[in-house]
Amino acid sequence: MQEYKRIDIDKEQIVPLAERMHRQGRQLVMIHGFINGDGQLDISYDYAVEPVIEGYHVVGETVLPSIGDIYDTAATWPERELNELFAVEFEGLDTSKRLFLPEDMLETQGRGQIMVMPLKELVEKNLGGEDK
Amino acid sequence: MSYIVPIGPYHPALEEPIHAKLYTEGEIIKDAEVFVGYNHRGIEKLATERNAIQTLVLVERVCGICSHSHAFTYAMCVEAINGLEVPKRGQYIRVITAELERLHSHFLWLGIACHIIGHDSMFMHIWDERELVMDLLEKMTGNRVNYAMVTVGGARRDVDDELRRELLASCPKLKAILDRIAEIAMTDKTIAMRTKGVGVLTKEDALRMGAVGPHARASGVDIDVRRDSPYSSYEDFKFKVHTVDSGDVYARVLVRVLECYESIKIISQALENLPEGPINLGNKLIKIKEGQAVCRHEAPRGQLSHMVVGDGGFNNHRVSIHVPSYKNTPTVPHMLRGNTVADAGLIIASIDPCFSCLDR
Repeated sequence: MQEYKRIDIDKEQIVPLAERMHRQGRQLVMIHGFINGDGQLDISYDYAVEPVIEGYHVVGETVLPSIGDIYDTAATWPERELNELFAVEFEGLDTSKRLFLPEDMLETQGRGQIMVMPLKELVEKNLGGEDK
Repeated sequence: MSYIVPIGPYHPALEEPIHAKLYTEGEIIKDAEVFVGYNHRGIEKLATERNAIQTLVLVERVCGICSHSHAFTYAMCVEAINGLEVPKRGQYIRVITAELERLHSHFLWLGIACHIIGHDSMFMHIWDERELVMDLLEKMTGNRVNYAMVTVGGARRDVDDELRRELLASCPKLKAILDRIAEIAMTDKTIAMRTKGVGVLTKEDALRMGAVGPHARASGVDIDVRRDSPYSSYEDFKFKVHTVDSGDVYARVLVRVLECYESIKIISQALENLPEGPINLGNKLIKIKEGQAVCRHEAPRGQLSHMVVGDGGFNNHRVSIHVPSYKNTPTVPHMLRGNTVADAGLIIASIDPCFSCLDR
């Protein structure tokens, strides 16, 4: 069974941690995000420290530094995705173009609510309650 | 003369919905951009309203080629959160299905690659031979796609002794088929001329951009989750991780052909040593405990990762799916630069993309 090790960090530690992992040749598996039980945003930087995945979690922050300069597209794509789905801001990240959501999403509906809002509320908001 | 050449999202040169914008000087691509998101289905969002059994069915629909990989990886996450140990026989059956899936996926890609370079007789030959793998999958699982072989806690269907012997007897046949394909792939002038030196990705760039799977191994990056972080008894099987250093489309052909041999070896070992005992833990609907797990599986196209967060209820609190094409697609603009417009379709296809997977 693959092991996942959770470690909580502050947002100031994100960049030094990425630099250290990159120096050690560790792969950035993914940057994940979810809303935790307290309603706070939980962003995890998951690195492959074989055979374990170490997940470094930053909780309750909506503005984070980008690690795109260190991990290139392996970081910028997940950051852009999190920006679209959770409205997390990554300092220095180019978010002028959409990644997954429709091209008119940014103008008509804004960022973020798709993964934050419960599905039923999302359906009501987008369809005006016509198709539940 | 400078041109901007738009390709896709629907285009004869592409099998998948991606939009590529090529900035060209005459025939040469000077720069490129790729745009995805044409098949975003909100599967992660839907998963938050599903229980574990429903989610297995849902995540299998992320991809029609590597459907087993998704159910496999999702089940591993739930098992990790709930501390469930899958019976050994169930683990082996999962591995056999996964490796048959890799074989059919690699055969499919090899056929498409030949079709793109205009070698249609080879395309038809490979796809004809692929039918043997599809027949084996159908006999084993009942389906040609979406095999439904995985449940939380093990496998859903057993492999009886008659089927075991039949699958074992097919391994030498598969190897003979592969010998013929490998001989043609390594000696045919058409394949060599259209693929050697085309769409090069260096090892440094592959590492920098986080490329995974056969795409990374064709650039000399020695990674494979099955070996580096073993799961589902992969540590029981002897197999090699093949790498090639040239980083071109030809290297991607070679790596995938060589990987097919390793898959046949793994399938043979798993069938010969198939343990006795139960295949699962009882196939019950369970509550997903409070907690989080990230699990990886070496899918045919590379490392697939799922993250599952449970809150103690039946439904998932969050499921996050990241497929190999998510890591490999950003390398495409880099590979396109300096190549001709005529090779663009082949270079995009050389990562064995699944943009529907990527979009989820």
